[in-house]
Amino acid sequence: MLRTFTGGLLIGLAVAIAVAAAAITYERYDTKTLKRTVKRGEVLCGVNAGLPGFSIPDDKGNWTGFDVDFCRAVAAAIFDDPKKAKFIALDANERFRELQNRKVDILSRNTTWSMSRETNYDLYFPAVAYYDGEGFMVPASRKIDSALDLNGSKICVQEATTTKLNVADYFKANNMKYEEMKFNKLDDVVKAYNEGKCDTFTADVSQLYALRLNLAKPNDHIILPDVISKEPLAPVVRQRDDDWMMIVKWTLYAMINAEELGITSKNIDEALKSKKPDVMRLVGTEGNYGEVVGLPKDWAARIIRHVGNYGEMYDRNVGAESKLQIPRGLNQLWSAGGIQYAPPIR
Amino acid sequence: MTTFRHLTWMLIAAVGLVFSTSQSQAQKRPDADEPGLVADDSYELDPQFRKQVVYYRTSEAPGTIIVVTAERHLYLVQGNGRAIRYGIGVGREGFTWQGLVNITRKAEWPDWTPPPEMIARQPYLPRFMAGGPGNPLGARAMYLGTTVYRIHGTNRPDTIGTAVSSGCFRLVNADVADLYERVPVGTKVIIRQKPEL
Repeated sequence: MLRTFTGGLLIGLAVAIAVAAAAITYERYDTKTLKRTVKRGEVLCGVNAGLPGFSIPDDKGNWTGFDVDFCRAVAAAIFDDPKKAKFIALDANERFRELQNRKVDILSRNTTWSMSRETNYDLYFPAVAYYDGEGFMVPASRKIDSALDLNGSKICVQEATTTKLNVADYFKANNMKYEEMKFNKLDDVVKAYNEGKCDTFTADVSQLYALRLNLAKPNDHIILPDVISKEPLAPVVRQRDDDWMMIVKWTLYAMINAEELGITSKNIDEALKSKKPDVMRLVGTEGNYGEVVGLPKDWAARIIRHVGNYGEMYDRNVGAESKLQIPRGLNQLWSAGGIQYAPPIR
Repeated sequence: MTTFRHLTWMLIAAVGLVFSTSQSQAQKRPDADEPGLVADDSYELDPQFRKQVVYYRTSEAPGTIIVVTAERHLYLVQGNGRAIRYGIGVGREGFTWQGLVNITRKAEWPDWTPPPEMIARQPYLPRFMAGGPGNPLGARAMYLGTTVYRIHGTNRPDTIGTAVSSGCFRLVNADVADLYERVPVGTKVIIRQKPEL
């Protein structure tokens, strides 16, 4: 009797542990993002609440920007419809937790990829969408074109930031001297620079171009081509959902490969008739590369048709056709002066 | 006789100017190979086509010129991950070509003798035009290899960023003069086209 009772207790305990373990596993590891997304009929995208060029809503609630377009590209691959993406503004503080809580399927929110973020939060950054990094703005009248010409400059910096530390490292490494003017807020840094209190100021390059728009005479200032730190911005997904991670990763790589092959939203129909093997593999007229991750044959063609290739996405939102006018720089293709490089689709 | 000839061409240039001005009203991008004069400073280039130093990673040696026709940019490699970038006008569809050439000759305010194939296509062009403002070759020309193609200035700064020439690469006069000072005869010029589908 006692033995049966103990046995029952043990079995019960084992079941309880198994259930609890299953629950914990379920909590920690989600492997059904694509399934839920398809059932829901839209991709949930975590974005910045308002960052010109990257993600910003208009007064009618229509979102535009580089990060927004990337999420639309994922929607285009899955639904053949870039509108099937819903944008959810997330704070910097809550973004990783909200992704873990499955409030969003993907974080496309100017987020720097670093090791601790990937490991501490059980997240995965599939690929670099935008290479940002710290740079310098100077008055065009100074006639300098390299950060190495900044020796002896008075630099406006923001207190307690990595940008300040990067400047210290960069100047030390290059045997240059500078004088620091410290401010608590970035706005005050910009104001001091605008009033001519310092020779240059520093921030991430994408930020410098946005801040320049607010200066009294934007065209009187240039952003030096040098980038002195690494801020690789990447989309983010949960770990252990490999199919979903693959979809996000190859959406970006399809866009980069499309630019390299000269396929655009304007000539996609022509590309579908192409007899060039690498073009055919990308647009899906040869092989079936989407199937393995649960996408149709023409997944990449859908992305290119609805959103465009990487260069189109860049130019429209942050590049030559946008207000920001950020040169391609590091984000140019590896074959055209930059470092954007996608593994081949084959 | 020479004076008379010059007068004739000046007259043609004047007619060309009137013609191209009236044309530009109806059609925004006129043919870039016609005589006429638009001064550099009268036209503001789109920011992406203004001369600037940019990040540019390449294995080509400093001093090499890289022309990227799809971008409408000409890069002069500076080394250390940077290049001076100029805005250019490029060849029309059908006049595109790609490859490696050298600068074989340089000239200031070059005369213009349109090659026979150009005359065949555009019979209304002059057979010769002396160098100077109004000449479509503009302030400077750098001759590419043994080809009929050149990097040159322009009398039409509004054509920078477009594909209207007969295969040459045009820069605004201030830029072509700047480039001219920086590159010697013998400079390597790499021309890149967008990939074909």
